[in-house]
Amino acid sequence: MSIILGKDDLAKYPFLEEAGTYIRESHFDLDDFNRPEFLHIIQRATKRVEFALIEGKVFIDLEKYDIELFTFLVSLIMMKYIDEDSAIKKFSLMEARRVERFLISDLLKEKDLRKKNLLIFKIFRELFQLDVELDPKKNNLFKMNISDYLQRATQFNEVEWKLINRAVDNGYVYLDGDETVRLIRSEIYKLLYNKIKNMNITQVPEQIKFHATLIKKKLTPPIKYLRHKTDFPPCIKKALELLNKSENLPHSARFMLATYMLSSGKSVDEVVLLFQNAPDFNEKITRYQVEHLAGKKGSQTRYSVPACSKLVNENLCYATIDCKGITNPIQFGRKM
Amino acid sequence: MQKEINSKNKEFLIRLFKEYYFKNIGNLSPPVQMHNREFGFMTFDGKVIRHLAFPKIGNLKAFIIQNVPSDIFCSNAYYQFPTFPINEKCWKGADLIFDIDLNDILLPCQKEHTFFICSNCSFVSNDFLTLCHECHSTRILKNTIPCFKCINSLKKETKNLLEFLKKDFGIQEQNLEVSFSGNTGFHVVVLQSNYLLLDSKSRSDIVGYLMGKNLSPDSLGVRNDKRGDRIKVPLSGFSYGWRKRIVEKMKMPEVSNDHLNKFIKKIGGYQSFKNELDKIAYELGLKLDPQVTTDIHRIFRMIGSLNGKSGLSKIVCYDIDKFDPMNDSCFFENDRNVDISINTPLKFNIKGKKYTLDKSISTVPVSVAVFLISKRLANLANYSS
Repeated sequence: MSIILGKDDLAKYPFLEEAGTYIRESHFDLDDFNRPEFLHIIQRATKRVEFALIEGKVFIDLEKYDIELFTFLVSLIMMKYIDEDSAIKKFSLMEARRVERFLISDLLKEKDLRKKNLLIFKIFRELFQLDVELDPKKNNLFKMNISDYLQRATQFNEVEWKLINRAVDNGYVYLDGDETVRLIRSEIYKLLYNKIKNMNITQVPEQIKFHATLIKKKLTPPIKYLRHKTDFPPCIKKALELLNKSENLPHSARFMLATYMLSSGKSVDEVVLLFQNAPDFNEKITRYQVEHLAGKKGSQTRYSVPACSKLVNENLCYATIDCKGITNPIQFGRKM
Repeated sequence: MQKEINSKNKEFLIRLFKEYYFKNIGNLSPPVQMHNREFGFMTFDGKVIRHLAFPKIGNLKAFIIQNVPSDIFCSNAYYQFPTFPINEKCWKGADLIFDIDLNDILLPCQKEHTFFICSNCSFVSNDFLTLCHECHSTRILKNTIPCFKCINSLKKETKNLLEFLKKDFGIQEQNLEVSFSGNTGFHVVVLQSNYLLLDSKSRSDIVGYLMGKNLSPDSLGVRNDKRGDRIKVPLSGFSYGWRKRIVEKMKMPEVSNDHLNKFIKKIGGYQSFKNELDKIAYELGLKLDPQVTTDIHRIFRMIGSLNGKSGLSKIVCYDIDKFDPMNDSCFFENDRNVDISINTPLKFNIKGKKYTLDKSISTVPVSVAVFLISKRLANLANYSS
């Protein structure tokens, strides 16, 4: 590539290799964070982390690139120091949504095609080994090959993501910027999560330690589901295990878990609490959805637990020998 | 092979199948990466043997000549350890396969040549049976002798599938393998590496696309919400894929939002449009067996092997228009005759000859006997090797 990304781009995408190079070339030492002139960076990083972990919101503030690069670095170090898996997952998800927001906006607004192509190359190809191209013959839409699309789109349940509802031609799926970025959300999340997990810092600067400790004290400890696990069918057990680890469960798994718990006699409040460990937990939204499933909102229809055959198709079935003869998880453990 | 065949018929079929494999063993071509495939067989006693592997085609051929199975299968999947139990095989990918079968294409003529056969007493009826009228057994088989219309419909559907795969999926002709299943269908295999790693869910989405399932009015720019119908021509246009098919079929204007808006109003708004869309999607959608495509651990009939349900061979079709399944896939000769007893009057063509058999003992060439006995529509009356 004959052009390079601008510094403003690095501020938005601080996980790119060029950002790392910039920090290395600035001969910066981690101990420098203990100096008073870096206090505002640490305070900004604290705000960014608190936004994600305590308020469950995306930090959308954007400063000059050097401030952003260091804030990002400090945030990661703080998360490494906090060292709680559920918190790291939550932070990674909120950061992924921040990146998503910038990327959608850049792909929409950038008029320079070369620059736009470079951004696509840097994010999609270099980071995620996904070939995405702009097609000038088709309104400059983004195109990716069908199998790459399917491997990502099948994680969504909405009918709009079904291949039939996409513009498909000659082996390619055509998408707009929003849709293209949405497809890689979970990959951005994993990239950030792994970045924190794989960090190797021998000595965390005292100033960062101090602020991270304060944040850690404010965190609600993750709920452990103590009920005897063998009571549940393996599909439900698996979903609970993942929630315990603050994994981001797909919509279909959340639907299965909520309908199962409601059908087993749990109250809406109890079911809402179950989702408290989800990295994107929002009590208001969760309550609305659970009430909807319980038939207390909308069409007043009480939703049933999906059949085992449906769960097999959705890759949510973890059948064991104890599942023999059942066609719905709700039958598990009953005499057949 | 369908379960429980009487010993005289079984002995006859084993002898003839052995003869076929002896003379035509070269028809069995090794699948790509043979050492990573699981093989399975069905015996003439109806038993299924799975989880076998053959590193070379020679080993497989020797096994077949020695054991003479009624059916030979090979996995569409590639495994690190093909002989291990299914969860331990280490899946490495699977060919993308489509199955077009008469069972999925509902034709009015099928009733005339579909038979319900009691596997206990061989009673045959043209009417749908769940219980045998003669012996009250519930073990009923359904068999069809495809007529010209059926075969032409299968060919038409197969050609439609190839068209979809080439135009929409960009798969080149040389990467598509079409074969006759040896009974009542055609198989299409995509030999293109970028589809190998797709999981069951992705394959299900592909098959849904081909069958025209879940087509949403939104994708054609027609939405409905609290504010009523909202029309906006999609940025990606109407000029390809399903959108093109629908626009052409419904003669929809694609120029502007105004034109599209008028069109939707004219046909009665969102709901009427959706109803029409569902109807057209079903009509233009392919009639496929979705289970076959979504199963990434399936064992599949091997090319060059005989189909135990018909005695015809599964064979590659290089020119589908010229292909005549009842001739090109029948490898038994007409040089010997045998006596068979027919359980119901039958009309069919095989090896270029038309047969009309009534409900009695008939002397027919070996090719006809193998076909009808495999279909469970006849029993051997008198045969010596």
